[in-house]
Amino acid sequence: MLPSQDDHADHMTEEQLVPLLPVQVYARPHVLQQIRGPLSPQIIELRGDQLIIGRNPDVDIRIPSAALSRHHLRLDKYQGGYRAVDLDSSNGFFLNEIRVSSAALRDGDTIQLGNAVFVYHEGK
Amino acid sequence: MGFYVRFWGTRGSIPTPGRTTHRYGGNTSCVEIRFDDALFILDGGTGLRELGVDLMRRPQHPVVAHMLFSHMHWDHIQGFPFFTPAYVPQNTFTIYGATSGDRRFHQLLSGQMRSEYFPVDFSALHSHIVPSDLGELSARTLDGVLVRCFVQRHPGGSFAYSLEKNGHRVVYATDNEIDLTLPDPSVVQRDLLAPRAIPSEFIEFCRGADLLICDGQYTEAEYPSKVGWGHPRATTVVDAAVQAAVKQLAIFHHDPMQSDDDIEQKIGDCRSRARRLGSDCLIFAAREGVELRLDTPLTP
Repeated sequence: MLPSQDDHADHMTEEQLVPLLPVQVYARPHVLQQIRGPLSPQIIELRGDQLIIGRNPDVDIRIPSAALSRHHLRLDKYQGGYRAVDLDSSNGFFLNEIRVSSAALRDGDTIQLGNAVFVYHEGK
Repeated sequence: MGFYVRFWGTRGSIPTPGRTTHRYGGNTSCVEIRFDDALFILDGGTGLRELGVDLMRRPQHPVVAHMLFSHMHWDHIQGFPFFTPAYVPQNTFTIYGATSGDRRFHQLLSGQMRSEYFPVDFSALHSHIVPSDLGELSARTLDGVLVRCFVQRHPGGSFAYSLEKNGHRVVYATDNEIDLTLPDPSVVQRDLLAPRAIPSEFIEFCRGADLLICDGQYTEAEYPSKVGWGHPRATTVVDAAVQAAVKQLAIFHHDPMQSDDDIEQKIGDCRSRARRLGSDCLIFAAREGVELRLDTPLTP
């Protein structure tokens, strides 16, 4: 049936108070996915302003491998993500197979420290 | 201490912020090179602004730097008026001309801050901004680093620079249309896969470098419509790197139309070409925020 003229009558909008529903916001953290080396496979959620990766017991992310230095790599919170900084390690930090001393990490980056290989996934 | 190279801007022509350039960055040309305590800044594109912010946060003050410019096109100077350390009285920046008595770079940097172009006058930069040059031989030792200069093919002219100390060397060669300098340009028309002979002067300038940072703006498909615009095919740059036996090649000055995926495709093509040429040169895309240390082994 076609709408009648009355259907388009201009009605005053009545103001109603609608209570806001509790909305849950899920923040997905940045993660390192270890794909090779001791303890792999594993997913490591990155939380905090600064994290150390190495083989020493006092580090935040410990990889028990002689191929890693005691304190090998530092992850610094940087522009909403992380910046990785080599801590003068013996075997270096390889980003997508190129030796670098530091880098702002991007989604999908491959990080190699000794025989441990990680993929960095940006959170949301 | 050590020999470090950090990319602050790797884009060519115009800044390209956005989601599709997030990985490699959208800032225009700016590279920081540190040999121990000596600081060199190559080009002052928009990446220079962030370098300035970082320098202000570092503990080393005052800031003293040698500034070398490839040329004065917009994408190589636009960051300078936003370079915070230039406003601090204690800091010193030396701006080098390529030849004896050449003060053009200093004059043009101040010229871009005239009121027609920018609200803050050059005189508001309270640091010591000193004009200098590389002398008669276009080569000079600065803080123990041998700096040499090479004239390139680019509309209006441009310069490449070689910086060397303790047997380690980096060459910065952007805005150089190598394709127009090929002794036999017809080889490209005959066979895209055939090796391209590069002029020996450029090869010798780059020979054996630990790192060649080189303009590789265009793909094979893009270049034919951009001939004469001052930038080469990335694949021609690969031939230069292979012939000069450089250890690493950073493809630089990415075209503003190239997304991150496009750049990765370009680099894949470059690596394939190097393999076909029998080279083990490490090739990668220069990427904003990446720092290399060149006095350490390159392979695991």
